Amino acid sequence: MEELKKKLKEQIIEALNLQDTKPEDIDDNAPLFGEGLGLDSIDSLELMVLLERQYHIKVEDPREGRKILQSVQSMAEFITSKQPA
Amino acid sequence: MKGKCYIQGMAAISPQPTFEGDIFQAPLVHTDSNLLACIEPDYKPFIPGNSLRRMTRTLKMGLTAALKCIQDSGISTPGPIITGTGKGSLQDTEKFIKEIVEYKETALNPTPFIQSTYNSVNGLIALQQKCTAYNNTFVHRGFSFENALLDSIMMIQEGASHTLTGAFEEITKEHFYIKSRIGCWKSTSVNSQEVYQHLSPGTIAGEGATFFTLTGAATPQSYAAISGFRMLYKPSEEKLATALRDFSEGADLIICGRNGDSNHEHYYEVLDACFPGVPQLPFKHLCGEYDTAGAFGLWLGARILRAQQLPASWFPMQEQLTAPVHSILFYNHFFGEQHVMLRLERV
Repeated sequence: MEELKKKLKEQIIEALNLQDTKPEDIDDNAPLFGEGLGLDSIDSLELMVLLERQYHIKVEDPREGRKILQSVQSMAEFITSKQPA
Repeated sequence: MKGKCYIQGMAAISPQPTFEGDIFQAPLVHTDSNLLACIEPDYKPFIPGNSLRRMTRTLKMGLTAALKCIQDSGISTPGPIITGTGKGSLQDTEKFIKEIVEYKETALNPTPFIQSTYNSVNGLIALQQKCTAYNNTFVHRGFSFENALLDSIMMIQEGASHTLTGAFEEITKEHFYIKSRIGCWKSTSVNSQEVYQHLSPGTIAGEGATFFTLTGAATPQSYAAISGFRMLYKPSEEKLATALRDFSEGADLIICGRNGDSNHEHYYEVLDACFPGVPQLPFKHLCGEYDTAGAFGLWLGARILRAQQLPASWFPMQEQLTAPVHSILFYNHFFGEQHVMLRLERV
């Protein structure tokens, strides 16, 4: 899980072009939207695309998406739950 | 053209050092790559970091030139925002199209798609300036900027106190290659400062973002007045000559879009024949050829009119002005199709 979170942070930085942010600056549990990284609705779409491209997971329900994209922790947990045992 | 409109403020990002500093002391930037690329300024003083991260080149150049233009005009919030672009954000368009292929029409990033639309720059200006007035982008190839200008002039004649009017264009490696395949650029490497001596098919590519604040009334700060304007589509030489002669009254100086392209040089020979003895300043060695290069020519003319001097390093072929310039005729065409004439007057 720790490895996945580290990789996820790097992927978020790259996908959203967060130029002055390093993986260690992102707290696992900090909210990605509003406070924390201060992302917006377009970023949420970019993160959905990231999940689809990198992890082959398609989020169909926008309400589900809101929960999944709460933090790096919630994203990592969701990815882990979708991976075959 | 009924009445006049006045250039109250302006800004240009171009392959020359036009954004900051004194252009009359600036060196001439030249290249032998057949492609004049813009000198990009530091965007951070103009665009918040969180917005900047998402923007591609044209958006950054367009928005920054617009904001500098607003600053230059002294107007706090722009009214109507009217722009022209031939291609919009090519970087975003190319990224979006490549991803359609790469990801087989699934999992497409929204950002390049949103930003590939032509009115992205206008939207960004309006959002940043909290401007809810009229907002329009014209996409008409070599008439894109000119239609934005025409719309602005009409808005001012209908009572708008001012408009923010501009143009933006970028060249990418892909687009340069595509246009080289259809013969738009010279087939051999030519130094941009010698482009007029290399009369052969094709020219050199360029790009730029240029904005103007136009007003209906002159102020002591006004750069110039636009008092004549005409567009012609694929005119015959006779029709062009007739139209040019309508602009002959009082022209002390001509700024023209000559570009070393032998395919369309004959139009500039019509200009020579109509205005013997009037000094000419070609400007394509400064900015290259692109759909909205006319905006750069207009910017140059307005700077010269207000300063009453030429940027010496940019025009080594021309002696400094010996008499006051009261009126400039601007003539440009885009690959022989879209022809534009403007009369600029000293305020």
